[in-house]
Amino acid sequence: MATTTSNIPRVGRQRWWQKYRNQYILVGFLFVLPALINFAVFRYYPMAWAVNTSLWRYSLLRGFQEFVGIDHYIRAFTADTQFISSMKATLYYVLGKVPLTIILGLALASFANQERRGMGLMRALIFIPVVTSFVVVSIVWGMVLNRDVGLMNATLQGLGLPRMEFLTSPTNVMPTIIGISLWKDVGYSVIILVAGMRGIAQEFYDAAVVDGANAWQRFRYVTVPMLRRHLMFVSVISTLGAFQVFVPVYQLAPQQRNAQVIVYYIYQKGFIFGEMGYASALSVILLLILLFLSIFQIRVLRSEDV
Amino acid sequence: MATSAEQKQSVMGLEIEEKAQRDRSRAQIRKWIGNILTWLMYVAIVVVFAGPLIWVIGNSFRSSQTIWENVFPVNYLTFLPFDEFFFDNYIEALGLTPEAQGLGFNLGRSLMISLGAAVSVVTLSLIFNTGAAYFFARLKVPRKNILLVYVIATMMIPQQVVIVPLFLVVNQLGLINTFWAMVVPWYASPFIVFALIGFFAELPYELDEAAILDGANLFQVLTRVIVPNAIPGLITVSILEFQFIWNEFFWPLVAVSNKSLQPVQVAIANQFTDRDPQWGRVFAAMVLASAPIVILFIFTQRYFYRSVALSGVKG
Repeated sequence: MATTTSNIPRVGRQRWWQKYRNQYILVGFLFVLPALINFAVFRYYPMAWAVNTSLWRYSLLRGFQEFVGIDHYIRAFTADTQFISSMKATLYYVLGKVPLTIILGLALASFANQERRGMGLMRALIFIPVVTSFVVVSIVWGMVLNRDVGLMNATLQGLGLPRMEFLTSPTNVMPTIIGISLWKDVGYSVIILVAGMRGIAQEFYDAAVVDGANAWQRFRYVTVPMLRRHLMFVSVISTLGAFQVFVPVYQLAPQQRNAQVIVYYIYQKGFIFGEMGYASALSVILLLILLFLSIFQIRVLRSEDV
Repeated sequence: MATSAEQKQSVMGLEIEEKAQRDRSRAQIRKWIGNILTWLMYVAIVVVFAGPLIWVIGNSFRSSQTIWENVFPVNYLTFLPFDEFFFDNYIEALGLTPEAQGLGFNLGRSLMISLGAAVSVVTLSLIFNTGAAYFFARLKVPRKNILLVYVIATMMIPQQVVIVPLFLVVNQLGLINTFWAMVVPWYASPFIVFALIGFFAELPYELDEAAILDGANLFQVLTRVIVPNAIPGLITVSILEFQFIWNEFFWPLVAVSNKSLQPVQVAIANQFTDRDPQWGRVFAAMVLASAPIVILFIFTQRYFYRSVALSGVKG
């Protein structure tokens, strides 16, 4: 090693490099190899397996039984009303949650972005549900929204309002679940948007004030356009997340047909009824939807190089 | 004539004075309204976001009967247990009494399993993700961008969706129903690798060169130069990973059905739900399952906020 070191100035780095290049590359690969193996075994291979399994009748106990081709896919779209209704429930959830996340996130972020005493505590309070698990959040809200002894109905009654059925009524269950996951997740968007707002130079606001813009106009014509990338990021992340919602449905409304979202249905088919082949086909369908959304996301983010 | 001009001037002066005063008081009023609105917002945030938390923590020290007696009318007694201080809920949830053990409660064990899994994953992730990020950010290897695409493309595979085949793969490895099922699949993460590449790339390359000239090998460059200079980034990703494993539910739900191996989230989902009439015990379980991560958050807020932008979709 000592001789190598002393050689460097004389021979020059380029040639020293050449000499050790192969060894260097080999050692370099050792650093990255474990991660690459992980991705191959636990991410790519399962995906390939899902595609393959979806073409077979497959159960955990009996393994591969019979090749059925694309029958599972045909069945999903033509014969399986429960699949169609689970897709509808998922879309309902996505279309309800994502716009509300954006609107509430923007509103809370423009509030939480101010430098005032106590604002750090407010940001922390908004963020605590993000760090807690969705299981805990679901169970707690299940109790808050309990029909008979829940905190919410007690509050409604105290205010002279009628008591409500939140989770027990088929029409209210989905809005309730959207509300709960909004409560849990909005802090995530708030933090991203606050970070975005911090990045907007004060000059833009000064210029807007000189032009006579009021607070709303400054928000509408300076903040929102400058946050375009952050808003895009938040909406894509929450869309992808919303398509995969599982815990609140599993925890709060497993019996409610209206709330059976796609991941819950996949779980039921695969792990309760043991139809792994069919569950894989449904997974592949969802995977394609999400891949499409991801590619769309990359396209949009690239095209908006500000 | 001169006097009228003086008068005029003084009148104008008065008007200006008055106008300035009016403006000042208007600004004052506006400031007051602003302050009141801010305080209203503060109250709203505390009620909406802290209300349920205080309710849960306060009532975890009550018996179920007292919880329900105090829920209506809603006042401070609904939230805070001034009437009794009941610690049995925690003792039962932790399975420290014979009856509770008979019911199969043992949150202490589940907490240790969650902690063990989270610490193992964070440790492994620090080793393998750091290595991979070092390769991509610092080493001069030709055409490594192809491998980078391979890593980034992994980020597009949603975990929730491939859980059925992941189960089958882990089953083939013989890890289903073992502690390692909760650890091995997550020892590397494309999100973390990607984030660490960003952190490492910020360091000047002269550091590596100087170390190499001093006779350090690649491994020494990583451990003695890169790692000490990227501590904040490493803490950020560790917290992200810890939070992910601590809160993960779907995967251990299907991968570990053996009750004595279940992590805390699965244990509470099975044993302490809103359908259980012993609400005090359920509240205590909620506090136990969230306290570690919430306390960690309170002390390391900055890192949590920083990890937000890195996390992408983790399920």
